[in-house]
Order: sequence, then structure tokens, then C-alpha cells
Amino acid sequence: MATFSPILRQLGCLRSIAKPQSLVSSQIARRSLTTVYTPKQEPVPLPSKLPKSFLSQIPPRQQPTNGRKKLKVYPAPPSSRTVCKDPVAAVTESQLTALDPTGERKALFDYRRNPRSVKVGDILRVTFKNGDPFSGVCLSIRLRGIDTTFLLRNELTRVGVEMWVKVFSPNVESVEIVQRTEKRKRRARLYYMRQPRHDMRSVENIVSNYLRQKSALSGQRGQGGRGRGQKRRR
Amino acid sequence: MAPRLPGWLLQSPLFLRASHSIIRSNVTTRPFGIRSLNPPNTSRFNVGSDLPVLKSTPTAALERKANTLPPRTGAIAIKKGMTALYDTETGKRIACTVLQLDRVEVISHKTRQQHGYFAVQVGSGWKHPNNLTKSLLGHFSVNGISPKRHIFEFRVRDENGLLPVGQAINADWFQEGQYVDARSNTKGKGFAGVMKRHGFGGQDRSHGVSLTHRSLGSAGPSQGGGSRVYPGKKMAGNMGNEQNTVQNLKILKVDSQNGIVVVNGAVSGPKGCIVRIQDAIKKPWPEIVFPSEPVP
Repeated sequence: MATFSPILRQLGCLRSIAKPQSLVSSQIARRSLTTVYTPKQEPVPLPSKLPKSFLSQIPPRQQPTNGRKKLKVYPAPPSSRTVCKDPVAAVTESQLTALDPTGERKALFDYRRNPRSVKVGDILRVTFKNGDPFSGVCLSIRLRGIDTTFLLRNELTRVGVEMWVKVFSPNVESVEIVQRTEKRKRRARLYYMRQPRHDMRSVENIVSNYLRQKSALSGQRGQGGRGRGQKRRR
Repeated sequence: MAPRLPGWLLQSPLFLRASHSIIRSNVTTRPFGIRSLNPPNTSRFNVGSDLPVLKSTPTAALERKANTLPPRTGAIAIKKGMTALYDTETGKRIACTVLQLDRVEVISHKTRQQHGYFAVQVGSGWKHPNNLTKSLLGHFSVNGISPKRHIFEFRVRDENGLLPVGQAINADWFQEGQYVDARSNTKGKGFAGVMKRHGFGGQDRSHGVSLTHRSLGSAGPSQGGGSRVYPGKKMAGNMGNEQNTVQNLKILKVDSQNGIVVVNGAVSGPKGCIVRIQDAIKKPWPEIVFPSEPVP
């Protein structure tokens, strides 16, 4: 060692480079802190076919009955909602079939679909079940299913009179068209006819004329004449 | 000094049996020695079988309610809308409400012994089991019923009114012509002022009134009245969406196939709301035919 000069002694650090690589790495490994990875031990599986008397000894977590219990969900009975989706319509339909079995009344006032129906401005004559007739100009028609109504206006003893008539009411025996309006009215509701300027006043004359003609026809032709009358009577 | 029994005799089964036979109403009397002429009171309260029922007991409460509780359960219905029927005799138009019963079934009972009163728990509709809490699902599963969307209970007078669990209540549970009470929530009106909510008069349009035309006047008296607002003061607030009972609605039509019950007049609430119908308490009870009983 004495032969080495101090300079050479410093160069001695290069010896580590000259050493084989494997040795170096092993040295580093020896110097650094390492922990050996040991995999977690596999839990010992429970013996299958464990007698029931031993079950109390194992923790509840591992009991075979542990875990979410499956609740039995019972199926629903058949629903009336699927049978009848729209009960209001069903009730209305049953009423309509009872009150208007042929559908004639409905067609007579369905001015949106039936071109031969009653229009506003027509003069109508309604006979009620108790025998009272009422005639007047139709001012408006309300289409509301079973609640379909129309408004008649007339003049009795020089006083303007209006009456809402329910189309499907069993008290309404017949509705006759006395006179159709000359021109199609350009409004759906003829409320302007209440103004003195547009008021039609009494329609009694027109109705009485119509009644006279009708009786004459029925008197002349007998069966045939009545047939024509019946056609308009709904 | 009274003679004492030796300890072994006290523990012997023979002696115990003898002492049991003498136990009378929680007070043991010795079979020997000097006995009291006036046995001690068992309770400091006045007890006995022949005493009248106290007014503040559940027994008395049930007795008082007996006349106003219906003998049979009601049903859960859904309001479907209104329409009209024509009276076949007079030809008059009758406004009516259409109700529909949907899979109404008895879920369970409330009994006097367990809950203090008799009631039938009834459910209707169907709810997906995934959307139900486990506790409710268990309740349905135990009783063998499909999961229900709406659950209500109907009080009944006694145990005769408890329908068997699982029994379906159809529209024909009600008879045409009988009367019912309809219980439902009214339409919600939101936050409403006093004029709309309580019908207050409001204040003047003019005469110097500024910015308080629809408000309430004073909320309470001044110093003489306690300088405070009394509880229950009518003020602005949420209006509607509270339960309302419409009594004595006549049943006009029953269609058990479609589950339709048509009642006379209006029922509170919007279309699609839940309506509970039960026999009217102010009318004579209808002739009941319990399905459990054999029909003659």
C-alpha cells in the first residue's frame, strides 16, 4: 500500500466500476431496506357438509344462512286499469247506447262531421215528453258528448226567451228542423242575434206555417206524408 | 314470637306447593299463626269487575265510537273524472264522478289487542319491487300480497269487519243506491293570500290605502290584549292539498268488471287522485253480505 502515491489512492474509487455488475447490484440490495412480499394466506375453506351442531361455532359472517334473504315477491292480480283504460268514456258510452241507440240524435247535431246536421241559425222545434213544444232559432251548439246541448231563442209575449236544450235528455221527445238557414253563418255562436239590430224576433209564424204544411201533407198522403214528417223528426 | 321455619323446610317443594295454593291476588297469607281480620288491599286503586268503565280508557273510547264506526271496510279508488247520467224516472241530468278501483286487496289487520283498535289495512295498484323499501317488501311478502302503490287503513267497528288478508275488494263491494263518504286531498292552490284562503274582505281600492289592497288588517290586539298574535290567527299561507271528506254521496252505478264506481256529485281533488270511499256514517249501514260467510 505504501507504493501507491496519494494520487493513485484517490483513483482507487474507480475500482468499483471495474467490478462485475452483478456484484454491485447485490451490494446495493444488501445495503437498502427491503421487505419480502409474502402473499396473503388463503383462508382455509370451511369443510363442506359441516354438521349443524358446529355451525354455532363459526362466526355469523360465515354462517351459510348469512347474507340477504331473498324475499318472495308475489305477482300482481289482473288490473282493471288495463281492462278499462278510460272509465269516463266507458260510462258515457253506456249512457249514449241507452239513450240514443241508433246514433241518430248524435248525428243530427254533430255539425263538425255530418253535413246534413243542424247548423246554427236553423229554426228548430223541440217537443218534450210532457207535451210542451218549444221552438226558436238555434244560436249555438255545444258538443260535449253526453252533455251536448243547443240554445234556442224565440220571443214569447214580446219578451225574448232562450232555452238550453239537452240533446240526449230522455225528456226531449223529438227535435224537428223547421227551416234551414239560408246562408251558412260565419260564426259558431250567434250571440249577436240578441242585439235589437239582429234580433229575429218571434219565429212562431214560420213554425205555424210549417205545422200547417205538415198536417196537410200527412192528411193528403196518409202513410207517405207521415213518412216525410218522420224523417225530420228525430 | 311466631315460630320460624327451618330453612330446609322453606326450600322444600312440598312447602312451596302448599304456599301457592294460598296465594290470593298477589298477597300471600300464611296458613298458620295470627291472621288479620281485614286483609290488606291488593291495590290502592278502586278495582273490581262490577265497576263502571272509566271515561278516559280505550275501552270507553271504543264504546263511544261504536255508533260512528262503519261495520265494514272501505276501498281505495282513483278519481277518473266527471260526467253526467240521466235519471231514468225523472229524466233529470245528474252530475257524477267516475272512480275506478284497481287491484284493491286487504294487506293486514289492526286489532284491539295488538294496536288498540280494529282496522283493515288495504292496498291498491302495483309498485315495482325495486322501488320499495325492504321493510315494506317484507310486509307484503309475509302477507302474501303483491307490492302495492297505495296503502291506507279503514277503521271498522269490531272484529267482524276484518276481511281475511288477501281478499280482493271489487267495485261490487258497494251497492247501487247506497251512500258513501269520499275522502281525498283537495287541489293544491299554492301560497294564497287571506282574501282567497280565508275569504277576508281586503282593504279599500282608494281612500288613501297604498300597497295593501289585498292584505289582512290587524293581526291582533294591542297592549291590552297581550301584545301578541294569538295562535290560530288566519294568515296567508299554503292553501289546498289537504284532506277533505265529502259525505253522503249516493252510488249511482257499479261496474265490477271494469272496477268502476260512479258516485253522485263532486269529489275533492284533481283527476287521478286517490279517493277513499267507505260507507256513509250518517246514513243507515247497507245490508252487508260478508264474503267469508256462506251466502244463503
